[in-house]
Amino acid sequence: MALKIIESCVNCFACEPLCPSKAIYEAKPHFLINPKKCTECEDDYKEPQCASICPIEGAILDALGVPINPPGSLTGIPPEKMAEAMAELQAH
Amino acid sequence: MELPVLNEQPAAKSGCSAGSCGSTDDQLDHLSDEIREKVQNHPCYSEDAHHYFARMHVAVAPACNIQCHYCNRKYDCANESRPGVVSELLTPDQAVKKTMAVAANIPQMTVLGIAGPGDPLANPERTFETFRRLSQEAPDIKLCVSTNGLALPDSVEELSKHNIDHVTITINCVDPEVGAKIYPWIFWENRRIKGKRGAKILIEQQQKGLEMLVAKGILVKVNSVMIPGVNDQHLAEVSKIVKSKGAFLHNVMPLIAEAEHGTFYGVMGQRGPTALELQALQDSCSGDMNMMRHCRQCRADAVGLLGEDRGDEFTMDKIEDMEIDYQAAMEKRKVIHQAIAEEMNSKRAEKHQAAQAFAAEEKLTTRPVLMAVATSGQGLINMHFGHAKEFLIYEASPEGVRFISHRKTELYCSGDNSCGEAETALQKTIRALEGCEAVLCSKVGYEPWEMLEQAGIAPNGEHAMEPIEQAVMAVYKEMAAAGKLEDLSEEQRASA
Ligand code: SF4
Ligand code: SF4
Ligand code: SF4
Repeated sequence: MALKIIESCVNCFACEPLCPSKAIYEAKPHFLINPKKCTECEDDYKEPQCASICPIEGAILDALGVPINPPGSLTGIPPEKMAEAMAELQAH
Repeated sequence: MELPVLNEQPAAKSGCSAGSCGSTDDQLDHLSDEIREKVQNHPCYSEDAHHYFARMHVAVAPACNIQCHYCNRKYDCANESRPGVVSELLTPDQAVKKTMAVAANIPQMTVLGIAGPGDPLANPERTFETFRRLSQEAPDIKLCVSTNGLALPDSVEELSKHNIDHVTITINCVDPEVGAKIYPWIFWENRRIKGKRGAKILIEQQQKGLEMLVAKGILVKVNSVMIPGVNDQHLAEVSKIVKSKGAFLHNVMPLIAEAEHGTFYGVMGQRGPTALELQALQDSCSGDMNMMRHCRQCRADAVGLLGEDRGDEFTMDKIEDMEIDYQAAMEKRKVIHQAIAEEMNSKRAEKHQAAQAFAAEEKLTTRPVLMAVATSGQGLINMHFGHAKEFLIYEASPEGVRFISHRKTELYCSGDNSCGEAETALQKTIRALEGCEAVLCSKVGYEPWEMLEQAGIAPNGEHAMEPIEQAVMAVYKEMAAAGKLEDLSEEQRASA
């Protein structure tokens, strides 16, 4: 089982040094997790380290493809509020 | 080394505790000799050094260990003057090269800072390798670092080994209740901790770090972001506490929040303070603390003297081709620094003389007035109104002239044909000058002239190329002589 980093990653480097399995590597256009190495931190920590520091909602998926940090969970911005603000900006 | 206790002077209500000085703007007057020595050529601390010396930042530290509600890690952060992670990220090696290239070409560059894009101390290897090498290879450059404080206690020992001239800690609160409204989470001991619990740990680490740095004799500056309705009432207490622990400057900056930044505050419609609210808070804190009023929240990746950015000359591909003989450059830098120091000293002496002459004059009894000044440096009124990207705000009163703050404007005259929007931009500029009764500049166009007058701000182009303080005082005296300023003593008599 392994986690996955997807394209919303902003390449902030925060996760890479924390990984106990050295599964995370810098790549273009964004960081990646080597699924063969990722242990989901099981033997080392209670929570997956990468997903515990990543500041970007939705950037890291669990083994089922579900975002570990869903919209609103990190910023506290309710998703409808975000959608509203973005629609507003688009309109200008 | 023990840091001398600051602010031992009798607390004055306004910025200047040295009551006799005609020019009361100089932040450094408040400091002990030892600290003054350290900061007098520092472009971030001394208003006049701003115009002679330059600082630069390198973006080597992309990771962060907390989240602030005013920050979106993707973009440049207006609040913490750090570039976004999308800006050019440098390896420590590149950062060292770039710093030395800039120092060799811009001898005025005296300070190198690491402020991001994330938290420098959340990237200790990258930050400290940069510092380690620069301390060795370019010992004439002072280093500084800004941090949110979470990892600070663990870094103090290492920081004390380098050429670190000061550390800036952003402290927005000392109360976890308030903190929970600013910091949604922190990463601590391998877990993400949300809400009040996270804020409490962050606050404890910040305070502990501050104490440890002071104990080591490292200068500490505290930055706070003023967030109306969240911590505005609370910052006076923050100021008091950080002062009592030995921070030498407290800099209150306005929150900048726009929906397009995608930050919590931006999207949720949290407003920033008005210029007058900010000033009122700075005034209420300045009796307690040396406030740094001239901070421009400069961009962390800017290169050059304040207000200019020569970053384009020093992109990585250009630097790779430069041959730098740093030993030779250091000799040259030394000579230039000495010449600048002499010029600054003679200007300071002139100012002092003018202040003494002023003190000897008969004292006015009129009310204080705010004035805006357009300048491109050297302490002179030497900028066209329409070219000013920012104005310096001074207060003139019978006590003298006191520097208050910078106010940024949107440039209304961009020189291209986008003049359809010129009017609203001009209106914005005029709004930025709220509370001022005059604006001094080298020249001002016909259209802004009329609008300024309508807004009750007297445009004044008569003091072009004159020293700022003298000109502001001259205008103040003209206003007083023309009977435009109510007499305070009369008012008091009337109300008595
Ligand atoms: S879940 Fe743990 S092991 Fe897997 S990539 Fe993230 S940090 Fe590494
Ligand atoms: S912490 Fe998140 S955003 Fe940062 S590099 Fe890792 S996956 Fe990308
Ligand atoms: S500490 Fe700096 S980089 Fe980290 S979230 Fe706050 S503003 Fe952003």
